[in-house]
Amino acid sequence: MNGLTTRTGVASKSGSRMIGTLKARAMTAAALLLGALIAGSAQAQDFDADATINIGSLYEPQNLDNTAGAGQGINEAFNSNVYEALFRLTDAGNVEPVLAKSYKVSDDGLTYTFTLQPGVKFHSGDPLTSKDVKFSIERVTSAESKSSRKNSLKPIAGIETPDDATVVIKLSSRSISLPYNLSYVWIVNDTATNLTATEDGTGPYELEDWRRGSSLALTRFDGYWGQKPTNGDVVFQYFTEATALNNALLTGSVDIITSVQSPDSLKQFKDNKDFTVAEGKSTTKLLLAYNDRVAPFDNVKVRKALARAVDDAKLLKAVWGDYGTLIGSMVPPTDPWYVDLTKTDAYDPASAKALLAEAGYPNGFTFTIDTPNYDPHPIAAQFLQTELAKVGVKVNINVITANEWYSKIYKAHDFQATLQEHVNHRDIVFYGNPDFYWGYNNPKVIDLIKQAEASATTDEQTAKLKEANTIIAEDAASNWIYLYPQIVVSAKSVTGYPVNGLNSQFFVSGIKKAD
Amino acid sequence: MTDTNLVAASPEGRTRRSWTFTIGAIIVGLHLVIGLSTLFWTPYDPTGMSGGRLEMPSLSHLAGTDRLGRDLFTLIMIGSRIALVVGTGAVIIGGLIGITIGLLAAFASRTLDDILAASLDILIAFPTLLLAMLIVASSDGASLGTAIVAIGIANSAIVARLTRILAKRVLRMDYITAARISGTSWLGVVAIHILPNIWPTLLVNLALQFGLAVIAEASLSYLGLGAPPPNASWGRLLQEAQGTVYTAPFGAIAPGIALVLLVIGINLLADGLRDIGDPTRRRRR
Repeated sequence: MNGLTTRTGVASKSGSRMIGTLKARAMTAAALLLGALIAGSAQAQDFDADATINIGSLYEPQNLDNTAGAGQGINEAFNSNVYEALFRLTDAGNVEPVLAKSYKVSDDGLTYTFTLQPGVKFHSGDPLTSKDVKFSIERVTSAESKSSRKNSLKPIAGIETPDDATVVIKLSSRSISLPYNLSYVWIVNDTATNLTATEDGTGPYELEDWRRGSSLALTRFDGYWGQKPTNGDVVFQYFTEATALNNALLTGSVDIITSVQSPDSLKQFKDNKDFTVAEGKSTTKLLLAYNDRVAPFDNVKVRKALARAVDDAKLLKAVWGDYGTLIGSMVPPTDPWYVDLTKTDAYDPASAKALLAEAGYPNGFTFTIDTPNYDPHPIAAQFLQTELAKVGVKVNINVITANEWYSKIYKAHDFQATLQEHVNHRDIVFYGNPDFYWGYNNPKVIDLIKQAEASATTDEQTAKLKEANTIIAEDAASNWIYLYPQIVVSAKSVTGYPVNGLNSQFFVSGIKKAD
Repeated sequence: MTDTNLVAASPEGRTRRSWTFTIGAIIVGLHLVIGLSTLFWTPYDPTGMSGGRLEMPSLSHLAGTDRLGRDLFTLIMIGSRIALVVGTGAVIIGGLIGITIGLLAAFASRTLDDILAASLDILIAFPTLLLAMLIVASSDGASLGTAIVAIGIANSAIVARLTRILAKRVLRMDYITAARISGTSWLGVVAIHILPNIWPTLLVNLALQFGLAVIAEASLSYLGLGAPPPNASWGRLLQEAQGTVYTAPFGAIAPGIALVLLVIGINLLADGLRDIGDPTRRRRR
């Protein structure tokens, strides 16, 4: 399949060269020059409207349902590609309407009336109605839902569907980021079943084939209501190992790597004119998340001490070379409520020791970090082990798989501390949920995050969240180690892909492959 | 005594034999010395970040440094110890289980023997590494102990089959019947007649199993199923160096060389042992 795609590409290239030669013979010297110029520019703009785009990724979804703990891979493959929402978070970080054609907010901010885009069809052929929207939102807020955004939708008191094209959402309290939060809610056909293995969305692509452990193939949906994709098929190919993924791009079996995970592999692409390296903004943070419910991590002093004991800059340098950014809290610089908190509990092993003694652990203690088995977690865990040993804290490393992480930590909260990359945009709100896996529970923060939601203006919201952000950092709720860089590498012939990794979304419908 | 006589009678055989045995012994001995020395001394603190990121090999860092700036030579030395511990542990476990089952089969009734032999053949047909992976995966978590047990169990089938065949051959001898008639117990037969007779061949096989166990441990660690970090297993060093193999190839080459050297050394040693223990080979020369 891959080999075939590559070969077809080569054949069509030589074909256009042949036509160029024929033209040249028929023209005079001057016209020849002009003709070559025109042919040249036409070729640069031309793209194969039916091309297959092969996308290489390290993030295979666990299943196909984002309310069932599928992981970041499903956002990458499905957001805006297979499923659409009422709104979407664009690659630039703005919220724009998609399936909502327009909306009105009542003066008290408690009633949102959405008018749906007309003529929208699901892949199964059913038309989109307000009932589907109600069904989809309730799917996310239901008791069984494992959506990480479930809590953000709590203010929704009721959903009414006065007619097929109108959805009225009644809120129990103001929710300024409702449109933003709705961008996480896939609109799913209300008759759809078995969504962990199949799909029925409204997006520009439908699922063609999912080979677990290998690839996810999407094909253009001809009944799509919006702008047609500039390619025919998209295949997400999953790799478990970055070197294999890099080699796949080098040999042409994939066209794009959604997110390069090692600075050392970039050199081979930067020095090569056949590839484009694009550096965008990421929202992915590496966290040492403690279980704040259990001793000794229920003690603020212990958490602060551990934060001070770790030289984050050194680890960032080890893993990312000269890429990446240090952060002092969960909020990356691209979020509106960013505050520079890198000075809070900055690296200072001496005061870390003093704080540990104050907290009642003058001789340190021992704890286990549950470490996902893929890079950079094992190396980060070893780094933490060494750093914390210097202040007398002994770390055991327990290597687990992504599946184990989801069941043991995310669901069962059965852990002391864990390393995890958090990819979501605006995910400071997770600290307002005491039932989240890390169990951070500060009533002041919960209240501030609630108030921010109830703000009438974005300025008010920003001020409240800045305050919450500062408290979370002061509490050392988790240890925010660094912010990843977002680097996309592609073959030169491929353009039109998103460069920012917000929410690890990867919109594919605008990707063009040169003819 | 007879051994020395025979060797003396065949000078060419002696030179060839000492060549493989000596080289093997030197390599394994070197690993042993290095491995044991890490218990008391290493050039650098194995977890300490003593250098810069991905430094090239130099006089201060003989094998360069890894991404965290740890001295790779130190880690490889510790890897040597881990490889030897796993090899020894796996051979002891595999040997104990294998020899016991093999002897049981040799002494058992026809039906039981057939069943045991068939199950051993099935086990041997099953890839060793896959079996070891299954055992590790079904245990509580990856650790050095589970890796040793898993590799030991996985390798025991071959030892069992060999023991069974060798023991059966000895059991057919007339002197066994004589020993039984003169009142020697079955355990006595095993201790006095069978084990001393089959030991040389078994030893060669166990030495080869040692080499396989070292490779199996590296493979398990490479897959993240071996000793958890910070145990510097060669397999894990290889795995960690994989992402930087183009920019800092030495991180992968150095543990690779150490692993290959040890396995070659063990195989040469086993080869030498076979020459010493196998009388037919001696007579041919």
